[in-house]
Amino acid sequence: MEMANNFFRHRSIFWMALLLPIIPLIVLLSISIGSVSVPLEKSITALMGLGGQDVSAIIINTIRLPRVLAALAGGAALGISGAILQIFFRNPIADPYVIGVSSGSALFIAFAVFMGTSLGIGNPFNPYTLYLAGFIGALTVSLFMIFASGIIRGITTLLIIGVAISYLASALTSILQVISDIERLHIFIFWVMGSFSGAKWIFVNFLIIALIAGFVFSLVLAKPLNAFMLSENYAQSMGINIRVVKVGTIALASFLTSVVTVVAGPVGFIGLVAPHISRYLSSSSDNRVVLPLSAIVGSIITAIADLAARTLMMPRDLPITAITAIFGAPLVIILLLRGGTT
Amino acid sequence: MLSTDRVSVGYGHRVVLKDVSLEIKPGEFIGVVGPNASGKSTLLKTLARLLKPLGGVIYIDGKDMSKMTGQEVARRIGVVLTERIQPGLLSSFEIVAIGRYQYTDPFGRLTARDRMVIEDSLRSTGALSLSDRRFSELSDGEKQRVMIARALAQEPSILILDEPTTHLDAKGRVEIMLLLRKLSRDKRIAIIASTHDVELAIRLCDKLIVCNEGAVKVYDVPEQLVEEGGVEELYGFNGELTFCKETLVAEPVIRDGGDFRIFVIAGGGSGLLVYRLLSRLGYCFATGVLHKGDIDYTVARSVGARIIAEEPFREISEESFSEALKKLQEANLLIYTSPPIGRLNQRNLDLLSAGHALGLPIIYYALDNHIDNHLGDNRIVHSISMLRDVLEEHKRKSLDKIKEGLSILKTE
Repeated sequence: MEMANNFFRHRSIFWMALLLPIIPLIVLLSISIGSVSVPLEKSITALMGLGGQDVSAIIINTIRLPRVLAALAGGAALGISGAILQIFFRNPIADPYVIGVSSGSALFIAFAVFMGTSLGIGNPFNPYTLYLAGFIGALTVSLFMIFASGIIRGITTLLIIGVAISYLASALTSILQVISDIERLHIFIFWVMGSFSGAKWIFVNFLIIALIAGFVFSLVLAKPLNAFMLSENYAQSMGINIRVVKVGTIALASFLTSVVTVVAGPVGFIGLVAPHISRYLSSSSDNRVVLPLSAIVGSIITAIADLAARTLMMPRDLPITAITAIFGAPLVIILLLRGGTT
Repeated sequence: MLSTDRVSVGYGHRVVLKDVSLEIKPGEFIGVVGPNASGKSTLLKTLARLLKPLGGVIYIDGKDMSKMTGQEVARRIGVVLTERIQPGLLSSFEIVAIGRYQYTDPFGRLTARDRMVIEDSLRSTGALSLSDRRFSELSDGEKQRVMIARALAQEPSILILDEPTTHLDAKGRVEIMLLLRKLSRDKRIAIIASTHDVELAIRLCDKLIVCNEGAVKVYDVPEQLVEEGGVEELYGFNGELTFCKETLVAEPVIRDGGDFRIFVIAGGGSGLLVYRLLSRLGYCFATGVLHKGDIDYTVARSVGARIIAEEPFREISEESFSEALKKLQEANLLIYTSPPIGRLNQRNLDLLSAGHALGLPIIYYALDNHIDNHLGDNRIVHSISMLRDVLEEHKRKSLDKIKEGLSILKTE
């Protein structure tokens, strides 16, 4: 039994040890590849801040590096958020967006884009207005869900409320879309399609700080979530304060999802697939293993998908969700068919 | 250690059980029985603090439970619920380790002592060999052992189980109940388990808590419930079942006796399988003369047979004999189960002769081959399956005769 426990632990440590070094490789690859190709050694010197005023160094430092770091941090955040929500809702197809954060964000962006000028709340063509609108939207839904999780007993009810909010926000958004003009519609669609293309250093810093805070909090949640996997009643019988865990889970998930959504819009499939891959690799459901591994897996997949999104049809940027879905959907099906990851 | 003072339990404003006062001591194995929706689960969940009592106070070790922290309660009370869990890929060991929740650090790391307690819990429920297996791949009985081990890993002094035997087969039910009894003895844990299996609870539990129609009654001696005829009252068998006091078994009552009437001469346990067969096949039968308290008498009564009975340890009286003879004369068939014959029941042999004299077809049911073959229509059968075949044959013949008779009547 000792052996088996060690084996599982070793297996997850093995995967972490294998996957973590991939991250710098992806960074290197991402900053080298693009419409302007940069040789590897130049990329390395640029990374070390020795590139000077070289054009490639400027491209790397102002565009590619923040973008890949945002993708890595955003992917990790989505991985954690998806993993805790799947456990919390006891639902293998739960993902970070079931709690309606992205729809709320989209609705507020739609308001800013379509009604911004007429309501006098800012210029819809200013990106910072839209970031702010997206942030307020995500925050509004998050706060509502956190509040709901504090007073609603049934977890399924909570899930349905999240889904219902998504539909409601989408409905309002679609009405706004219909009454808007083509130019604004174009801006809106660009915003809600999801892409790390707009990542700037200020957002990267924001994302990384949020991720570190969220990651630490998720490690604290891992233990009660393990007990939660049995059932809410069992968790309560072991002296766990259910309400604190509920509010904490929803707060963490909506916080992590919100920061990613604000920076990159909705990025689908990462939060769904990363926890499944992690459980498959570690062959464990222990959240103390699954949560960190989901973060690593999420960041790697997202960074690769982002690289693919901006290079497959160069110089066009594809929406990242298109890439993640095209590769992610078959993967989810295979993992589920092979069984045992839920 | 666990006591309640006029506790009311229920959901919201709906009180299910009122004024429950219990006093539970270490090492007691307590069964909670009662019909569906009688409040068993509600009571147990309230005792486990999963529900708030609607009135009254629950004390653990003399302290008001509602004023204790979650940790204090979890270290005293372990719970096994009816809900089925789906813990993904967790192994049995990992499930039991979750029971150490209130003993481990914020990251749930296990110390040597935690591991010892987990292994000990698994061992005492006979689940140590399941440690490495995935919980989801275990049988229902194995799962239940792991869930009990998980509760034990909390090192509780009280174990509360809501219908721990529900999903199990007959063998599994007995095994789990015996396990609980053993745990209560070996670990001096008070065990409170609800069950639908009254028959087992009466046999194994130290005390019974009976929930019925909003009230709780505690039986310090489970047999007392039987003595009072409480089981039938409890389950309101409404004539379809009777509870047999002697064997502690619920007996189905079949009432579809037809025109074909059988008389059975039995006694001393020679007739009980025959009674069961006849009752199951739907024959209408009378039996006698049996002494009250004879196991044949008990079984015949359970299956609802017409019995001509004599008081225990008395010779068969003229009165009972003539009553039996009257029944015999109404019968279409006589079954003689070769009972042991002594001074007290030797008049049953006279009954057999009377059957002969009446020209009744007689089936001799004898497991040993000593009985000689008799004449005419009469048959000897050496097994219950042969008896079944012969019976069906007789019934068919007699029905044919009746039909023949009817057709003769019509032509005349």
